[in-house]
Amino acid sequence: MIGSAAQFTSNRRAEREAEPAPLALKRQRKQAAVTHESVRNFVLAWPFPLAVLAFWYVAASRGWVAAQVLPSPETVASTFADLFRSGELLANLKISLWRVLGGFAAGALCGLCLGVSMGLSSTFKDYVYPLFKAFAQIPVLGWLPLMMMLVGIDEALKIILISKAALVPIAVNTYKGIQNVPAGYVEVARVFRFTRLQLLQKVIFPAAFPPIWNGIRYGFTHAWLALVVVELLASSEGLGFMIVFGRQLFQLDVVMAAVVMVGIVGFSLDKILALTERRLLGWRRHGF
Amino acid sequence: MAHAGTLTISNLSKQYEVKGEVLPVLKDITLTINPGEFVSIVGSSGCGKSTLLRLLIGLEEDYQGEILLDGGRIVGTSLERGIVFQEHRLFPWLSVEKNIGLGLLNAKVPEEEKRRSIQEHIELVGLSGFETAYPYQLSGGMAQRVAIARALVNRPEILLLDEPFGALDALTRAHLQQELHRIWQQESITMILVTHDVEEAIYLGDKVVVMEPRPGRVRRIVPVALAHPRDRAAYEFVRIKEDVMREFIGQPAEEVIEPPLRAHDAPSDRLPSTFRFAV
Amino acid sequence: MLPLGLFVLWWMASKYGWSQSPLLVPPGKVWATAVEQTTSGQLWIGLRSSLWRDLAGFTIGASAGLLFGAAMGLSRLFENTIGPSFHTLKQISLFAWIPLISVWFGLGDTAKVAFLSLAAFFPVVLNTFEGIRSVPRESIEVARVFKFSRWQLLTKVVFPSALPSIFTGIHLGLVYAWLATLGAEYLLVSGKGIGNTMIDGREHFWMDLVLFGVIVVGLVGFSLTWIAGHVEARLLRWRGTSVAQF
Repeated sequence: MIGSAAQFTSNRRAEREAEPAPLALKRQRKQAAVTHESVRNFVLAWPFPLAVLAFWYVAASRGWVAAQVLPSPETVASTFADLFRSGELLANLKISLWRVLGGFAAGALCGLCLGVSMGLSSTFKDYVYPLFKAFAQIPVLGWLPLMMMLVGIDEALKIILISKAALVPIAVNTYKGIQNVPAGYVEVARVFRFTRLQLLQKVIFPAAFPPIWNGIRYGFTHAWLALVVVELLASSEGLGFMIVFGRQLFQLDVVMAAVVMVGIVGFSLDKILALTERRLLGWRRHGF
Repeated sequence: MAHAGTLTISNLSKQYEVKGEVLPVLKDITLTINPGEFVSIVGSSGCGKSTLLRLLIGLEEDYQGEILLDGGRIVGTSLERGIVFQEHRLFPWLSVEKNIGLGLLNAKVPEEEKRRSIQEHIELVGLSGFETAYPYQLSGGMAQRVAIARALVNRPEILLLDEPFGALDALTRAHLQQELHRIWQQESITMILVTHDVEEAIYLGDKVVVMEPRPGRVRRIVPVALAHPRDRAAYEFVRIKEDVMREFIGQPAEEVIEPPLRAHDAPSDRLPSTFRFAV
Repeated sequence: MLPLGLFVLWWMASKYGWSQSPLLVPPGKVWATAVEQTTSGQLWIGLRSSLWRDLAGFTIGASAGLLFGAAMGLSRLFENTIGPSFHTLKQISLFAWIPLISVWFGLGDTAKVAFLSLAAFFPVVLNTFEGIRSVPRESIEVARVFKFSRWQLLTKVVFPSALPSIFTGIHLGLVYAWLATLGAEYLLVSGKGIGNTMIDGREHFWMDLVLFGVIVVGLVGFSLTWIAGHVEARLLRWRGTSVAQF
């Protein structure tokens, strides 16, 4: 890095541009600041949840609220551990994850195809867009009773509704992303005589990628939301079912353990997507 | 080394139709540009100088008259003609070397040759050490250097420059003008520079084409017979500058007739409001 | 064109009996149900109770969300102490709260409104927070040059520039609240909402009623977004572009 920095100064004579500082140096400085701040933030983040937990503990152990209404934190923790050890939690988690991934994959695929077709062909868009708009206006929960009648309450219902939840944001963002590719970029491609395929590969898709990716993230969040609600309403297995079942038997510790699991999974999925984003979209100004 | 081409423009006219009304943009332009010549085109906003460049590069095709390169009519874009836009138009998702490499995507040369050519052009514009940097890490002047390298990497016969330094600060601009001159001499190709900066036009040009607006016409062609390197404060230089400036007096105030090009804006990733109803 | 074609297909399919399934009801029957529901007042009862709950929950949730989001945006301390807990809780899928809420608040309107507030709360907080945090430094510097007081800084600079984002949050809150209204009616089965009507229809295999419900749900959702979009566009005219159109 030092070598190139020296070369860099010798290359410039009169030019006084706002040159970026050598990149490695800048990164280093930034990292030091980040670690210091993150330690402080980490410490600050704990008092509040710990206080809530303590209050919950006291409230439960002093019997201020009935155990059926609010089980003590240690009951929830031990139930969580039991369910985890017995494999019940993981078995249900696996089922839920399969559903959400299957539904999401199907929805994402259709959404991408639909979005790309609408973005590239205005004839196709003119035909399909109004219908798509109407379809998208009705939330998943609006479709639910209708779909229950049409396909029953089997796996198909879950997959269909989850894919619908994922499809809409992905299709819209893909379409809008392609439509908003700056005309200037397309002109560059024309100047270099790109073929149609090269234009798509080298210009349209990379340029539209950030909005498409955003759509995928929205789509995933929505798919997860749809999964939980579908499992709550019509299912005999999965995390959502655990919640409903626990509720019916008034085992609130089971309900809470499952809710915690839902939170953990949602959190991890979000983190994975965020990390992937940082890898894929490193060229964006973010973080600098 | 690239060989330069002769460009002959005769009786060129161009109009746009805006809401059913015909707007003449260019009228009756006749101009010959010799191989290896550096021609500057100056004019106030709306005189159609950018449209002229877009016709020369082949991004606009509908015109009357003739544009001939070495006797052949210009149809569409070609790798023999390169262009540098006012905005650098680098692809933000590609590194400097990959951006430059884009120009060679359709060149029929072996990979090894391509790689060498990219490296050579990075050196040509003085950006060694920045091969893997992304556009957001570059300053405006550096980004424009990359754009110049990208346009030259095909070794075109003609390089068109559409106000390439318009958005840069004065010092950077002066320095890049010097660099551009060096590149022109080194590569010995034809360059056509569109600018609204009269000094820049004279500093670089073998001749300065002064255009007047509504509709865009050639008002006068001023030869610049000064030796390089030119001194902007020299008597002769200032005299030519005053001569050119005089042509602008009495011209109608600027009236912008932009070509119907979509704004060069960043792609937005906001979800349109109606579709926030998505769950 | 395409919707019309599909409609004709549907009409022909039921008219010529291509399928014997009881699920294939002719368009005419759906229309008749629509007319009957509208004139008998059934629709209005359902709609009124759904919408009332929707708006009540939304109002509570959005107001709380505004305050919470503003506190988080304006105070680093608040953000650092409460923020992480908030971001963790937000990861729990919205509907997973319903069983807990039903234990704490019962099955009646209180539980539903509580759930709806929660649904509206999260997006409003997030967008208010983001809006306040992304006020351009330049604008704040202008305020400092003019020696604005803290209060002036808030009312003249921070709040107006955060407004578009806040509106996005409110918009999303409205959307989520409507979704949650349906969810609450399905899951906390009691009362007379439009969701209950649809569940009823499903249980009795009245396809016409369910289809009608789907259309009403879509229309209500569309109207809510439309109204929000236009209010937004009116209030944010200074942005130069209409937010309502796309």
